[in-house]
Amino acid sequence: METETLLLNMGPVHPSTHGVLRFKLRMDGEIIRDCQIVVGYLHRGTEKFGEMKTYLQFIPYTDRLDYIAAMPNNYAYVKAVEELAGIEVPQRAEYIRVLVMELNRVINHLVFMGSLLLDLGASTMIMYGFRERENALQLYESLCGARMTFNYIRPGGVREDLPDGFIPKLNEFIKDMEKRIVDYEELVNGNEIFLMRMKNIGVINAEEAINYGMTGPSMRGSGVDHDIRKLEPYSIYQDLDFKACMRREGDSYARYLVRVDEIRESLHILKQIVDKLPKGNTINQRYGFAPNTGAPSAVTSYFPRIFTPAEGEVYSRIEAPKGELGFFVASDGTTKPYRVKIRSPSFCNLVALPKMVLGLKIPDLIAAFGTIDIVLGDVDR
Amino acid sequence: MDPVTIDTTKIRMTKRKPETALEKLEDTNLINTLLAAKDREGFILLTTIDQAMNWGRLSSLWPVTSGLACCAIEMMAVSMAHHDIARFGMEVFRASPRQADLMFVAGTVTKRMAPRVKQLYEMMSEPKWVISVGSCANTGGPYHESYCVLKGVDNIIPVDVYIPGCPPRPEAWLYGIIQLREKIKNEGYGAKWGLNK
Amino acid sequence: MNSAEELKYLLPNSVVSVGVQTNKPQAVIRKEDFLKVAEKVKELGYDNLSVITGVDRVDRIEVIYNLFSYKKKQNLALKVVLDHRSPEVDSVTSIWKVADWLERETYDLVGVKFNGHPDLKRILLPEGWIGHPLRKDYDMNTEQFVTIGEDGEDIVSPDGSNLLRRK
Repeated sequence: METETLLLNMGPVHPSTHGVLRFKLRMDGEIIRDCQIVVGYLHRGTEKFGEMKTYLQFIPYTDRLDYIAAMPNNYAYVKAVEELAGIEVPQRAEYIRVLVMELNRVINHLVFMGSLLLDLGASTMIMYGFRERENALQLYESLCGARMTFNYIRPGGVREDLPDGFIPKLNEFIKDMEKRIVDYEELVNGNEIFLMRMKNIGVINAEEAINYGMTGPSMRGSGVDHDIRKLEPYSIYQDLDFKACMRREGDSYARYLVRVDEIRESLHILKQIVDKLPKGNTINQRYGFAPNTGAPSAVTSYFPRIFTPAEGEVYSRIEAPKGELGFFVASDGTTKPYRVKIRSPSFCNLVALPKMVLGLKIPDLIAAFGTIDIVLGDVDR
Repeated sequence: MDPVTIDTTKIRMTKRKPETALEKLEDTNLINTLLAAKDREGFILLTTIDQAMNWGRLSSLWPVTSGLACCAIEMMAVSMAHHDIARFGMEVFRASPRQADLMFVAGTVTKRMAPRVKQLYEMMSEPKWVISVGSCANTGGPYHESYCVLKGVDNIIPVDVYIPGCPPRPEAWLYGIIQLREKIKNEGYGAKWGLNK
Repeated sequence: MNSAEELKYLLPNSVVSVGVQTNKPQAVIRKEDFLKVAEKVKELGYDNLSVITGVDRVDRIEVIYNLFSYKKKQNLALKVVLDHRSPEVDSVTSIWKVADWLERETYDLVGVKFNGHPDLKRILLPEGWIGHPLRKDYDMNTEQFVTIGEDGEDIVSPDGSNLLRRK
């Protein structure tokens, strides 16, 4: 029977939109006929700050893009600057960088699992996820003093070396987490209601996923085996043993499973790093210098506050927990970048959502949207 | 405790026509009863109602779910097991502003979001309180120079407690909440005249 | 022969010059031929459009497309140089769907007009915002305020008296 369509507004303040996102839906009864996404409610002008601040001053702003997993943002920007200026990084610093990034991937996927289940109406998982997250955040606190916005990675290395007792605590976390992840799978994966909400919902095939610019775990749920850590190995990833997790179904459940597998892979990487962690400097000594103001001996090297890379442009990308995170940095030979452009994974992954939810119901929109795993700070910048 | 009766002969009657607001208040019977209560060191129903109402309000603050940015993640962390906001009777985050009496402005208020935040505040029913969380909501914070960020949420709505930090640690949130509870405890006529002690 | 030189070999008239973007090959394309080149590039297997960047160079506006081929595992950057007064280039939405939002964003913040885009409107800033913030001549001192209209859409005005509290 033909019925009149109804315009339905969802957001920007809505508990299931993970922040300030707005859907404009055209509904035929319960069926979504058209879905428009309105973004920009958290647009803070980060790219303009890139032009207004010096190279080092911009690092804290990258923390606030994807605030659930801030360390990869730090690294992606610093990597672009390093490529632009041709800065070498000592081996120990590279290991510490990968360590903190993989730990952040675990945190990100824990928050993902929790918030997805919360959206679907189950509130146990978020309690568990945040409990484990709190343990990981304590590691970060001992490392750099911050829980979420780290400002830790510097061009040429990292800000500070690992504190005493970090590695034993990390080992404890890994051991604990390996047990917990089995619990979570038992709790969630076989749940009848969960399966019904997730299976065959929000299906997208491999070709479309690539064309719509999906990257990261969301794309790998569609049977595309592409991971930038494998494609263009950066940092020390070529020395590590891991696999790009992939599922073929392309539905919400596949995207969920990819992320659960990635937690395991990240823990595997962390264990390798703990074994291999070399000794040495944590910042490039050519750039770092010891302050002669009687500073504490622990802080022995700084990156100079002002430095000027040669004129040029660079686009550098990494595999962030949410997908391909890239920074385009253009330099005009002054102390400030001429242009900083952020290619954020959440923004590009969101383009495919209207395609995925056509013909579904509103609760399915929530499920499909939850498995894309976006953060609004990353979408709107 | 012994039941207390009011000795009406002790109530001071105002003779002249009331002029100031306080005198007008005093002209009503309510104020006389209150004054009588002051003489009798509490134990009177009306002062305890004031106190009881404040106690009720501060012990079950229901915040509205309005996470804007980074601080919203810490808001989730505060409400989870480790920091456990439920100790303050606040774990019931309401999706509808009409059922809530507290708003955490948790995150950057952009120019585009500002009218929505204001609307959300206006939709909340009285009594209502606002806690501004994080540097962005307090002053604009790191985004103070931005072209599209409001320089402090107190430009559009009244704020009761400011919590600094970027983002504030969960302990800072809890401290801010305790400060708000102190503030609510001292609301009403009873507190103004020192009856809630 | 890198990917940009290969493109130059295939389309000698459309590719103005070949260079590098730090460590990625880059080809500068004539703006009139851009859609044709983009179709050719897609045929060559560049299935992933990573990012579209607009850069205001004061006397000109450059739009840079970073592409990646999952099949060949190769990078390619395309650059188009546009007139500063009326920057216009053909839209590639029909080739890469992700270009829809990326082009809207470039239009919003840098002010590049993409001909043939199905729905070219602002994405991050509200409709009616004056100026494009990532232009170098954008006036940062003028405050603009947003209010909600009857239909729930944004209205931009320099006057914030409806929004701001009286102090």
